[in-house]
Amino acid sequence: MSKILIVDDDPDLVEAVTMILESKDYDVIAAYGGIEGLEKAKTEEPDLIVLDVMMPDKDGYAVCKELKGDPKFGNIPILLLTAVVSKIPTTRYTQQMGLETEADDYIDKPVEPAELVRRIEVLLGKA
Amino acid sequence: MAGGARILVVDDEQIMRDGCARILSKKDWEVVTAESGEAGLEAIKGGDGFDVVLLDLMMPGIGGMEVLEATQQVDPNLLVIVITGYATVESAVEAMKKGAYDFIPKPFTPDQLRIIVNRALEKRSLQREMELLKSERERSLRDIATEKSRIATIINCMGDGVMVCDRDSCVVLSNPAAGRMLGIQESSMIGNPLSQCSIDGTLTETIMESLRSVDSPFPTVSQELCVSGPTPVFLRAHTAPVRNDVGETLGSVTVLQDITGLKELDSMKSDFVAMVSHELRSPVASIHQQLSVMLEGMAGDLTERQLRMMRRAKERANGLLELINDLLDLSKIEAGMAVQYKEPLLMEELLGRVRELMLPEAEAKGLRLELDVEPPLRLVKGDRNNLEGVFTNLVGNAIKYTPEGGEITIRATGEGENVRIDVSDTGIGIAKQDLPRIFDRFYRVKSEKTRQIVGTGLGLSIVKHIVEAHLGTISVESEEGGGSTFTVVLPAASVQSR
Repeated sequence: MSKILIVDDDPDLVEAVTMILESKDYDVIAAYGGIEGLEKAKTEEPDLIVLDVMMPDKDGYAVCKELKGDPKFGNIPILLLTAVVSKIPTTRYTQQMGLETEADDYIDKPVEPAELVRRIEVLLGKA
Repeated sequence: MAGGARILVVDDEQIMRDGCARILSKKDWEVVTAESGEAGLEAIKGGDGFDVVLLDLMMPGIGGMEVLEATQQVDPNLLVIVITGYATVESAVEAMKKGAYDFIPKPFTPDQLRIIVNRALEKRSLQREMELLKSERERSLRDIATEKSRIATIINCMGDGVMVCDRDSCVVLSNPAAGRMLGIQESSMIGNPLSQCSIDGTLTETIMESLRSVDSPFPTVSQELCVSGPTPVFLRAHTAPVRNDVGETLGSVTVLQDITGLKELDSMKSDFVAMVSHELRSPVASIHQQLSVMLEGMAGDLTERQLRMMRRAKERANGLLELINDLLDLSKIEAGMAVQYKEPLLMEELLGRVRELMLPEAEAKGLRLELDVEPPLRLVKGDRNNLEGVFTNLVGNAIKYTPEGGEITIRATGEGENVRIDVSDTGIGIAKQDLPRIFDRFYRVKSEKTRQIVGTGLGLSIVKHIVEAHLGTISVESEEGGGSTFTVVLPAASVQSR
């Protein structure tokens, strides 16, 4: 089964996302900050990373940039978890951040479980 | 004048006096006679207001010449016609030199007399009219001078800056406040072309555009400026063209307000709102997320009752999130971050995307969502994301407030220098008393029909903010039960900036 790394500084959110993914039998690893997330991405080599943007130690953009710039990990799909929601800024955000950071997709928090699963399946090439 | 004129006949011969009186009084003129120079002068000095004097030159006692001279002193405008005897042209000429208006040699026919008097009266009438006009002009000039000085004083004492440009974009008037705000010597502006006054570039451009504008429905352009200096000054500038009665632009007036203090307060407020919203948002998002997971049964099975309560809790958390998002948007827009990237936009493309984005939501509610574009539309210079947000919001509202089976239409048409977009629905409409307030922050129409609809009341105020930041207007037409149409009019990009 695919291995998914979830990186978010909010443990409640990590737990909720973990439950969603485990319900679909994914193998879930959690990291509670940008630095930890980066480390685990490198040591665990997950099949996909669900990455929060706003984290105090190292934000999601920085983590994404570093991974995508690394030939060894650059092909791990990254799904950004954004909190910038609301229709107006999201579209700009998509164009400016999502594309610039080379994240593979983005989804606003909170996520609908079914939608999260669908996006992940797309990224993993299962849909 | 022809009627009611007063004529004095001064002659020592009774027959002449009576003859003249008879001839002249036929024409509805009032004739007074005097039998000697003395009597004549007395009548004139009496201030009886004669228009014309018929004066015999040859009289015993005071002669006609003396009477004429005295008359000139009393009233230089009084017209004197001298009556001269046979072939005494010399004395007639002398009298004319002394200021007589005309002469009539004896003997004369009634017609000759009438003609000459008539002419004199006409001259008198013109004279009066001229005097009247002259005094009127003097009074007007005095009034203008007073008004001018009053306006100059008002403008110079004003706290707001005022700057007036003529149609050649030369500064023709500015007050000390304007100079102070723009950081320019007032005297170095007046009389100089705008481009040489080192005035803020954006403002210069706005003024130029206002001078070029024809028939714009947004004659007044308001914008915020920042004048850099040791301490930056924030200004709000209102620029409007001055037009004459046939609509030609004669110049442009700009009023400046120093909003630095307001700006500071506003940014503090926005920071606060943003901070609070973020601090609020994360936990609420987390709660929402946990509820979603539980509702999916991923944390174990739930009883029907638990499900119902949690569904409601999730809905409430969702409403809270929407409110926080709106607050975040608003604080961002108010912090001046919203409209930054202006580019020429194809509205048909932008609206097409909005339709695509909103179609699932509309179809889920059994609504038709149509896009009707009347090409070719001119480009609009704007912020793509913000304008997308505007129409997404308007269509979103239409979906919210339109019952199943209804229809929503986005229609885009060219309208002179503008592009007009109507978003209309067949929904529940808006009551008359609510119409003026629907663009206010936090205003929500409260009725039995809207009770079930989740919203924060911020959407339309944000929409309005964005439209206005694009120098556009938004208006609404609606009838309770008869659907609503929101109309956004945006200025097309000028050819130069295309």
